[in-house]
Amino acid sequence: MEQKPYRSIPISPEEITPKHLYQTRRQFLKQMGIVGLGAFLAGCAPGALESTPGTAAPGSDALGDALTDYDAVTGYCNFYEFTTNKETVDDLAQDFITQPWSVTVDGLVENPRTFSLDEILSGFEQEERIYRMRCVEGWSMVIPWQGFPLHKLLEEVQPTDEARFVAFTSALVPGQMENANSDLFPFPYREGLRLDEAMHDLTILATGLYDEPLPPQNGAPVRLVVPWKYGFKSIKSIVRISLVPDQPPTLWNTIAPQEYGFYANVNPNVDHPRWSQATERRIGETGRRETLFMNGYAEAVGSLYEGMDLTEQY
Amino acid sequence: MVKRGKAGWQKWLQVFIHAGAWLPIAYLVISALLNNLGFNPVETVMRFTGRAAVIFLLLSLTCTPAAQVFKLPWVKKFRKPLGLYAALYAGLHFAAFAIWDYGFNLPLIWSEIANKPFILLGLAALVILLVLAVTSFKTIQRKWGKGWVWLHRLVYAAALLVIAHYLLAVKGDLFSLQGAYTAPLIAAGVLLVVFLLRIPVIYRNLKKWWGRSSKPEPDLD
Repeated sequence: MEQKPYRSIPISPEEITPKHLYQTRRQFLKQMGIVGLGAFLAGCAPGALESTPGTAAPGSDALGDALTDYDAVTGYCNFYEFTTNKETVDDLAQDFITQPWSVTVDGLVENPRTFSLDEILSGFEQEERIYRMRCVEGWSMVIPWQGFPLHKLLEEVQPTDEARFVAFTSALVPGQMENANSDLFPFPYREGLRLDEAMHDLTILATGLYDEPLPPQNGAPVRLVVPWKYGFKSIKSIVRISLVPDQPPTLWNTIAPQEYGFYANVNPNVDHPRWSQATERRIGETGRRETLFMNGYAEAVGSLYEGMDLTEQY
Repeated sequence: MVKRGKAGWQKWLQVFIHAGAWLPIAYLVISALLNNLGFNPVETVMRFTGRAAVIFLLLSLTCTPAAQVFKLPWVKKFRKPLGLYAALYAGLHFAAFAIWDYGFNLPLIWSEIANKPFILLGLAALVILLVLAVTSFKTIQRKWGKGWVWLHRLVYAAALLVIAHYLLAVKGDLFSLQGAYTAPLIAAGVLLVVFLLRIPVIYRNLKKWWGRSSKPEPDLD
């Protein structure tokens, strides 16, 4: 079968930098010195040098963008049920209990079912997907996720013909989430996708990052990742997935529909009403880079939006 | 002797305020040197300097009503330095945005702020604060007389612009009060109190109340 351009590139085990090397890479690089750098890279990743353009080298995404540091991915993120502070959320979320955990899949399906975390982890082959993540606030990262396409789970429960949308709900645990009872947000966090978006192979349920189980602040134990949409669509710590006939209410779209559309596709041509979305700051880089239409995944997902006016349905 | 003693501790308070006003910059410089500005240093610095500017501006505006209500005329002296520090931090805030974040790429900056009231409001406030800063010298004040007083009342417009800028900077919807509004709402509340205290009926009554509840203290001097 011909490989589709958007598929995550299969990475053979010998191509992956071992974790102990990865985690001590700075020290290692320092020890190697600048002169040894080229030889080291060439020696470590022969496959990368020979690979065809557009495929991911280890340590980078399909566009050749370098992975964002593990410390940044896990130390800088939004999880408003804990706090609105992106840099203290990791501490506040540390005691979040994610085992036992279950995800109920119901609504317009032939086989409604509650999956335990073990069933999710062992019932679906976990694969690596290196995706760009673009936050609506104007920053971005490149993150190596472990997980599996959402369509594999949906195929098990078999959506009925009436199912048109998929509604997701996050856990809301007041005892463990400091901000859970805030009057400023209509928690629980909810998100939604059109069924064809949910069935797209790029859409995954992630269970890990950097070959580690998801840390709580990153949405443990299971979260959605939709790489061509703004980060707030990628709902964290999912407890319920419902197949529904109509467009479901979602948190940010409920708060400010004029600012956060249901689709929320990354689009440099459609500004947030209060700030531009034309550029972004890649965490770890200085300066700004241009934001890509559909976050660079337009070739893969453009057909989902044929005939739609994306400035109206943002 | 009595007078000098009073002036002495007021001087110390002045030193304390100036030292306090440079602390945020010292903190940022040390954090930068220790590589401790977080994962998004531009955002960290912009938030930090923005908050400092709001705090110093509100403190500056609090001086006059506080001096009136609590009958502490010397508090008025701090109005000007605190306002100058507000202008300094607002300037650093804008510099972080224009120079560090956007590399002084003017077309890009313009495309960011055109039709974006959020940034334009902040920019308008900055312009006012800078104009007030460069016209804050005593000689200019004396020369311009009444005109100077009117010009410097623009600080209230700047404060309103700054609070609007702050409220618009966070994600959410202001009218339904859904979003990350805690800090900007506190700032808006303080400004509201400051404005209320400028209403003669209110501050006169408060002054009376304060005069009654605080019994004449024995003169420590």
